[in-house]
Amino acid sequence: MNGGHPAGPLARFLAWGTVFYLLLPITIVIPVSLTDQRYLSLPQEGLSLQHYARLLGSEAWLSAIGQSLWIALGATAVSVVAGTLCAIGCWRIGRRSSELVRVLMLLPLIIPSIVYAIGLYRWFGWLDLLDRLLGVTLAHGVTGIPYVVITVSTALAAFDPRLEQAARGMGASLGQTLRWVILPRIMPGILSGAIFAFIHSWDELVMVLFIASRQVVTLPRKIWDGINENLDPTMAAVAVLLILFTVLLLALDGAVRSRAGR
Amino acid sequence: MSAATREAPLAPRAGKGTGHALELRALSKRYGAFTAVDAVSLRVERGQFLTLLGPSGSGKTTILMAIAGFVAPSEGAVLLDGRDITALPPERRAFGMVFQGYALFPHMTVAENVAFPLRVRRLSRAEREAKVRAALDLVQLDRFADRRPAQLSGGQQQRVALARALVFDPDLLLLDEPLSALDKKLRAELQEELKALHRRVGRTFVNVTHDQEEALSLSDQVAILNHGRLVQMGAPAALYERPRTRFVADFLGTSNFLRGTVQEAGDPGLALQAGGTRLLQAGADLPPGSPVLLSLRPEKIALLGEAERAANEVAGTIAAWAYLGAGYSLTVRTADLGALRVALPAWRAPIAPSEGLPVRLGWAADAAVPVLEDADAA
Ligand SMILES: Nc1ncnc2c1ncn2[C@@H]1O[C@H](COP(=O)(O)OP(=O)(O)O)[C@@H](O)[C@H]1O
Ligand SMILES: [Mg+2]
Repeated sequence: MNGGHPAGPLARFLAWGTVFYLLLPITIVIPVSLTDQRYLSLPQEGLSLQHYARLLGSEAWLSAIGQSLWIALGATAVSVVAGTLCAIGCWRIGRRSSELVRVLMLLPLIIPSIVYAIGLYRWFGWLDLLDRLLGVTLAHGVTGIPYVVITVSTALAAFDPRLEQAARGMGASLGQTLRWVILPRIMPGILSGAIFAFIHSWDELVMVLFIASRQVVTLPRKIWDGINENLDPTMAAVAVLLILFTVLLLALDGAVRSRAGR
Repeated sequence: MSAATREAPLAPRAGKGTGHALELRALSKRYGAFTAVDAVSLRVERGQFLTLLGPSGSGKTTILMAIAGFVAPSEGAVLLDGRDITALPPERRAFGMVFQGYALFPHMTVAENVAFPLRVRRLSRAEREAKVRAALDLVQLDRFADRRPAQLSGGQQQRVALARALVFDPDLLLLDEPLSALDKKLRAELQEELKALHRRVGRTFVNVTHDQEEALSLSDQVAILNHGRLVQMGAPAALYERPRTRFVADFLGTSNFLRGTVQEAGDPGLALQAGGTRLLQAGADLPPGSPVLLSLRPEKIALLGEAERAANEVAGTIAAWAYLGAGYSLTVRTADLGALRVALPAWRAPIAPSEGLPVRLGWAADAAVPVLEDADAA
């Protein structure tokens, strides 16, 4: 904020305290991943990269990373296409009814994911989608839609509707207007939504616990199993990589937004 | 339209008569119980420059959008060269349009903006480039082809919008307040350019404005709108000199309004009684006893010297005055006719205005025009 009063010492203390509190669990993971011990603990005598090496040499971990990656990419594609079309449709209609559609699309975000997962379990049982890559991809893709709807709707709110009129007035069909005018203008919103949808799938656990068991083991699922079964420090190494990857994606999102802002 | 005219879009056309004629038949648009446009009928001949003039909210944009196809009329029809196009979607009409605020595509360069309608029509790259260059030449922006709209001034953006609207040889060019976002000096400059452009391309233009000066200086025909109704349409001079209603006289320029009652209808004209003053009014034929409303322009009233006589004379005192450079604007209080606005050329003015100064005003029998009250005109 420019020109306002600077924050007082108490406010500063609270702000930094909150940040510290939020980041504390993350900061503990990093030293643990560098432990020289064979179990989940802080380093005793020195730092070691042995658990990172173990991770990269482990068939099971690499397979989990690969599965998570493919699922997240597929789910992102589903979320982006469905979410973008929904947002554009609502924007074009612009009535009360479209407001309702938008609220409905946000439901997966509002409903506790465990409730959603129970419902999914029933449906996927009937549809024979349990414990299959396609099933998890669809589940993540659908629940990722709200992120895309939100970011694309925000981008559309800033879109000048006269640009669409101008394009159509010059003879452009709906498809041409979409491709050449609307999509380029809202692309930052779509990218932003895609990144969030990707992250959503990448670290989703609750639904996977319900709808997958042996065939499909995503990275969060593998970590979960690892914690329950043995306290292998490799998990801390995985967690650190997960954090780095997520931070990278968020930085990418920030870059997209700042470019769009210019 | 012949193939030949399609191929040479921006070549000067042989005078007027090469554009298209537009007709509105009893066009109405209602939003719920509110009538934004009320049974407007008008006709624009080929190659003419029509301006829709009216205060804000009078339905100008709605009419233009109905012509472009963005607003579906509640009733009535839009005809192009006698063909009913009311049901045609906007992309099938493809009239060139300059929007309020221009609506340039911010993510495209100037050249890409202008090329857009050509890209839509799948013209070859070579053809596209040639036409874009010709269009940018036309509006003198050839040096700015690679800039983005945000890097241009308001006047330059306005010209890009014009080039984009003209490049695909539209049947009709629609302009929604194309100059209103510009400052006064630039506006005057672009008014002249727009007029020259219209003459050069010979297309039919429909312009919307709330600026009466712009309407008078640009148009072949002006349609005056109020509350969604067409009040009067005609050539600028005809509208200014012979307003049909009080609203037209008031909106187009300024006007004094005099009320009187017909005493006798004689040979030079009507003799009217307005309070204790007798007025002589040419050119109207009304029975004695009828009430009459006259519109009298400030510049048609003269200050009379000692010995000067006029068909109509009234004495008063200056209540207020303002120096405007080219002239003075006086407000003269009279006993019978109320306050009268008088425009006095400043160069060799017969008096030095001051408050309370007694003056004698005079005007000819044909200086004023009888007008209708707007409620009676409806
Ligand atoms: N979509 C709409 N819904 C309801 N009322 C509208 C709509 N569009 C225009 N109007 C109303 O119609 C009237 C005429 O609007 P408009 O044609 O934009 O006027 P102008 O361009 O002369 O200022 C205004 O009172 C406006 O509020
Ligand atoms: Mg308007």
